Amino acid sequence: MGVSAMRRKGLHRAIAFLAAAGLIASACGGGGDSTSEPADSPAEETTSEPAEEPAAEEPAVEAGDEAEGDVDTEVVEDDTVQVSYGGSISVGLEAEVTGLRPWEDNCSSPCYNMMVAVYDKLVEQDVTGAYAPYLAESFSSNDDYTVWTVTLRSGVTFHNGVALTAQSIVDMFPIQQAGAASAGVVASSGLTSVEATGDLEVTYTLSAPKAIFPSYLARAPLGMVFEAGAAAADPDGFSMAPVGTGPFVIESRDLDNKTVFVRNADYWGSDPDGNQLPYLDSISFLPIPDEGTRLDALLSGTVDAMQTLRQGTIRDARDARDGGAAIELLESQGNNVGGGMFNMAIAPFDDLRVRQGLISLNSQEQVIEALGGTGISLPGTQWFSADSPWWSQKVAEAWPKFNFDAGVEKLNEYINDAARSDGKAVGESIDVELSCPPDPTLIAAMQVLQQTLEATELVNVTMTNYDQQTHINNALGMDNGFQGVHSMHCWRWSSEDDPTAGILAFLSEPTNFPNWTGEYADEAKALAAESGATDDFATRKALFEEIMMIIVDQLPIWYSGHTATAIGTSPAVHGLNGWHVPSGDLGIGFPSAEGRWSEVFISG
Amino acid sequence: MLKVVVARLVRLVGTLFAVTFLTFGMTALLPGDPVNAILGVETVRDPAVIAEIRADLGLDNPFIVRYFSWLGDAFTGDLGKSWITDQQVMETITQRLPVTAELAFLSIILALIFAIPIGVLGAYKQGKWQDNASSAGVQVALSVPNFIVGIFLIWLFAVKLGWLPASNWSRPSTDGIWANLKTAIMPASALAMTQMAIFSRLIRSDMVSTLQENYILAARSKGLSDRFILFRHALRPSSLSVMTIVGINFGALLGGTVIIETLFAIPGVGFRLINAISQRDIIVIQGITVFIATVYVVINTIVDLLYAVVDPRIRRR
Repeated sequence: MGVSAMRRKGLHRAIAFLAAAGLIASACGGGGDSTSEPADSPAEETTSEPAEEPAAEEPAVEAGDEAEGDVDTEVVEDDTVQVSYGGSISVGLEAEVTGLRPWEDNCSSPCYNMMVAVYDKLVEQDVTGAYAPYLAESFSSNDDYTVWTVTLRSGVTFHNGVALTAQSIVDMFPIQQAGAASAGVVASSGLTSVEATGDLEVTYTLSAPKAIFPSYLARAPLGMVFEAGAAAADPDGFSMAPVGTGPFVIESRDLDNKTVFVRNADYWGSDPDGNQLPYLDSISFLPIPDEGTRLDALLSGTVDAMQTLRQGTIRDARDARDGGAAIELLESQGNNVGGGMFNMAIAPFDDLRVRQGLISLNSQEQVIEALGGTGISLPGTQWFSADSPWWSQKVAEAWPKFNFDAGVEKLNEYINDAARSDGKAVGESIDVELSCPPDPTLIAAMQVLQQTLEATELVNVTMTNYDQQTHINNALGMDNGFQGVHSMHCWRWSSEDDPTAGILAFLSEPTNFPNWTGEYADEAKALAAESGATDDFATRKALFEEIMMIIVDQLPIWYSGHTATAIGTSPAVHGLNGWHVPSGDLGIGFPSAEGRWSEVFISG
Repeated sequence: MLKVVVARLVRLVGTLFAVTFLTFGMTALLPGDPVNAILGVETVRDPAVIAEIRADLGLDNPFIVRYFSWLGDAFTGDLGKSWITDQQVMETITQRLPVTAELAFLSIILALIFAIPIGVLGAYKQGKWQDNASSAGVQVALSVPNFIVGIFLIWLFAVKLGWLPASNWSRPSTDGIWANLKTAIMPASALAMTQMAIFSRLIRSDMVSTLQENYILAARSKGLSDRFILFRHALRPSSLSVMTIVGINFGALLGGTVIIETLFAIPGVGFRLINAISQRDIIVIQGITVFIATVYVVINTIVDLLYAVVDPRIRRR
């Protein structure tokens, strides 16, 4: 690591520690999952092929921003090194996993890393983003997508020796219906019953057409298969001793310190050459919440791999690598995009001119620079990164760019309007409470925005910082009919999952965070519902583009940059980039720093 | 003496009651709803599910009902169960306390190892360059926050020299004493820095007074060596204040290793407390805070009682 890089890193760490002092939870983010539903999937008998090849030929517009830096790592076959069995690795995670029950424990990126070691999902995403059978051998639907039939692989056993049958999936359902993490997902999926219609055939019946139902089977709450008998017998104990069908079996769980999984010798999966998986003898996960210590742990060989969801850490890791440190980085530019929302239920944010003015004054480049993300995080214009098949150039071009004069003009229109909604006198400045969690980089970014807004002399900005749970609650407003007590509020949008459910959740009432209602919101909601009723890629892409354009028109939210994530490894660790779904196609890679460990091996 | 003991115990009970009430009250008053933490950021908010979870957790009951219910359980050693991990709070504490206690103990030992010679040297060479140099060093040690020391130690001993692991706590029971010490030495050193500074200042000032006592002059006149006089005759009477502070600081360290435990990812009480705070796991926050406060108050009470045993004037008050 270069001296200057080390100095900068040390300074950042010191500042971060002083300011954060233990507020570990990633401010506004880190990508929880649970609700979000994933992507497109074909309704007919499924193979690993997507319904249509997603827009690879889409012109890579703002990807010109790549010039700022290499923002992601391509998912490719890692066939340069001979696969070998054996060995152990340890992985540094950004936080301890609160529990390992897919139905109960809210799961984010660290949690997924562990859960995919012990559980298999019925469905996984392949490299194109399409849904492919995984523990399921196939899935299909009836014509109107209300009944889905899943055929399970044969000869699969849980870690406790119980055979996987259709009844295993049926037995999971009552637990999922009651689970804190899965109950809402069951409701949003419209799933009404799960029946065993054969030894290995499961029939899911939905209350309404849902072409994207397989996406629900690709995330933890409904998709991860656990042994329901053991879960029902001791639900609390199951968190510490989970039983799945996954490539690794839990050996020990020392909460806040180390969770060790060992090779599942009876694992059903194999690589494309027919070699049984997994390759590793064991894998340990260590929660190391301090970003700097986690990177130092990798640099010093204390761990063999580490994840990060912070662009500052990616920058430090790049500096270290470029300075000669023996590490490799698998970077991913996610759909998840930072920014915030307006509370449209209150003045002056109920007026489009104010929202237009404020967004025109948001210099994304400067904000990203303050966040430490220049060359790492690309500016957001929509819910999809430039690498996503759903990304739209039209939306990218339409999203309002930083324009000080235009912003001032729009704000002046409102301020000088005698009928202005905030009840203030004509010519008086508007009041804005700009609120973010107390993350040092977020605060720095918000100070940039604050300075720009105040430079207009038309906006009085009050900055507030509450811890993450309070921040969420302020927007949620469980005590005031879900209206919230926020005004201009930092938030994150989108995920790697299917956009339909995310957009519907965003617009769902009564917990619609920006309180965006009315004809435009209804139209967006109708379009989102329509996108969930078809599996035609082009149709869905067009629908998402329309929704994004409505957001551009109405501006209930604003964006800073997309979330860059990375997994750093020692050069001896292979197989994270280029794991496969059972058909032999490449899997989706490592979005949100979520690794798949079954095909990982150690060279040398 | 009995009167003193009773008075101290009454004060102890009163203090603990206040601590539990304030802790419970403050965590209850915190904005933000623990149901959010349970549901996560992106989970669809179904009001029926929210209402059910709130009812399950008893959050619908008035504050005072919840407090006395919790207090009644706490008297029997039941501090409740985590809303997030479902682990019993007492079990959480008992699992982590040995780790934090080890860190606290090691840091105090390390601090004393360095503080005694520095303090003795400062007193012996009072006003000379050795005293000035040690005083300056002590000032630096007092001024640098322990997490900065921790970051530096990681950089030097883990990244640059590769001698010690950057994190990855090893338990003596499973990994052996040596592995445990390798993971404990850096965080303990970081914690020891401030302690060392405080202890050495106390030892120096006490020893400066001691060295002016007549029996020291008598020892010198007998021709005893300076080293013998310093360490056999002067050190012991100069250690009373530091011993008191060691006891109190040990109690304080049990709850004061939060930042260092987080920096080094050490599974101690402080690390769990920080995780609980970020997860809004109120039951765990309450339990650990009350536990730490209790330990601190009890240690202080014991120190008070020991003073009374040692000093007859206090007994007579």
